[in-house]
Amino acid sequence: MAKVVASSTRSKSIKLTYYRVLIGAVLLLVISAALSIPFVYESQTIWYKVGNDKIMLRSGQMAGLLAAVLLLVQILLAARGKWLQQLFGVAGLMRWHRINGIIIGLLAIMHMLLVLIPEGVTNLPIGLKYWPEMVGMVLLCIVAVLVISAQWRQQLRISYRRWRLLHRFLGYLAVVLMALHVLSVCDSFEQSVPRVALLFSVVGVMLAVFGSKVLSMPPGE
Amino acid sequence: MKKFLCMVIALFCLVSAGQTVRAAAREWELDKAHSNFYFRISHIYSKVDGKFNDFSGEIQFDPANLAESRFVFEIKTDSVNTDIAKRDKHLQSTDFFDTEHFPLMTFVSTKITDAGNNVYEVAGQFTVKGVAYDLTLPLTLAGIKDHPAVKGKEVIGFNGDLTIDRLAYHIGTGKFYQMGLVGKDVEILVTLEALSDKK
Repeated sequence: MAKVVASSTRSKSIKLTYYRVLIGAVLLLVISAALSIPFVYESQTIWYKVGNDKIMLRSGQMAGLLAAVLLLVQILLAARGKWLQQLFGVAGLMRWHRINGIIIGLLAIMHMLLVLIPEGVTNLPIGLKYWPEMVGMVLLCIVAVLVISAQWRQQLRISYRRWRLLHRFLGYLAVVLMALHVLSVCDSFEQSVPRVALLFSVVGVMLAVFGSKVLSMPPGE
Repeated sequence: MKKFLCMVIALFCLVSAGQTVRAAAREWELDKAHSNFYFRISHIYSKVDGKFNDFSGEIQFDPANLAESRFVFEIKTDSVNTDIAKRDKHLQSTDFFDTEHFPLMTFVSTKITDAGNNVYEVAGQFTVKGVAYDLTLPLTLAGIKDHPAVKGKEVIGFNGDLTIDRLAYHIGTGKFYQMGLVGKDVEILVTLEALSDKK
C-alpha cells in the first residue's frame, strides 16, 4: 500500500515538473518570438539610424517587447489560476509576481531611454500629434505607480484594501494601454503576423483570467 | 537777393520733402489659412510632400513701388509636417533641422525686381540653422482684386517655386543622400494670399 502511495506521489511530482518545464519552454518561445520582431519585421525608423543609434533603438524595441510579454505574464500570475497554484503554489506565484513587476519597471525605463536617446533627448515626442508615444509615457507612469505602491505600500500608508483595488485597476489598464501603445507606435505591428499575435495574446490572457475567476467561484454564485 | 534766397529755401524744402515722404508700399496682411510653404523631396524613387504649419509673414507690396516693397517670412522649423509624426520628429532632430537649436528659418527680402509677365524676383537673405544665405525667390503675382468673401478688402496672390540643394544649406549631413535614401534637391512651393483694406 505504502509502495503504491509513494509511486503515485512520485508520478505526481514528475507530472508537475513536466508541466513546469513545459510552461518555461512556452514562455521562452513566446519571449524569443517577441524579441525577433524588431529583426524579422523591422520598423522603418531603424532604416534611418546607423551605428550606436541603430543598436540603441533596436535594443529599446526589444526591451519594450520583453516588458509587454512580462506584463501579460504578470496578469496571469496575479490571477492565480487553480492550475498555476497547483504547479507553483500561491507563495511561489506571488514571489514571481513581485520580481516580475520590478523587471517590467526596469525594462520600461530602459525602453524609454533607448528609444528616445537616438532621436535626441531634447527632441521629445510631446503633443497630441505624438499620442502613441504619450500613451507610452502614461503607461510608464502607471507601471511606476504599480511597482512603487507595491514595494512601499506601508510606508506610503495605503490600506491593503485600497491598494489592492488600485493595483488591480491599474494592472488591467496597463495591459490595455500596452496593447494600444504597441499597435499604434510601431510600424512593425502594421504587419499582420505581429498584430494578430499581440491581439490574440492580450485577448487570450484576458479570457484565461476571466476563466480562472469563473472556475474559482464557489458553486451557486 | 531776398527773393532768390526764398526760392532756394523753397526748392530745398521741396526736394527734402520729396525724399522723406517717399510713399511706403501698400501693407498686406498674410492670410495664413490660405498661404503655405510646401516642399517636395525624393525618397529613393518616390516623392514625399511636406509643409510647415506654423509661420508668419509681413508683406508690403506695390507693383508701382518695388523699391519700398518688402517680404519677410518666419517659419517655425518644428512645425514641419509630412503626415507621419515619426518622420516629422526625425526631421526635427539634429539629422535635419535641429529645431531645438534653430527654431526658426527666415527670409528677408533686400531687393525686388520686375522680371516681366507678372514675375517678381525677390532677392533676400534666407537664414537657416543660424547661417544667412543669399536667395532669390521668384514670385508670380497671381492678381489683385476685391476679396470675394470679405467686404472692403482686396486680396493679393503670389505663387513661386524654386529648387534648392538642402546640403548647401546644411539641412542634413548628406549621410541619407549617400545611402541613396533621401534626395538632396528640395522643390519648394510658396503660395500666398494676403488681404488689405480697399483703397
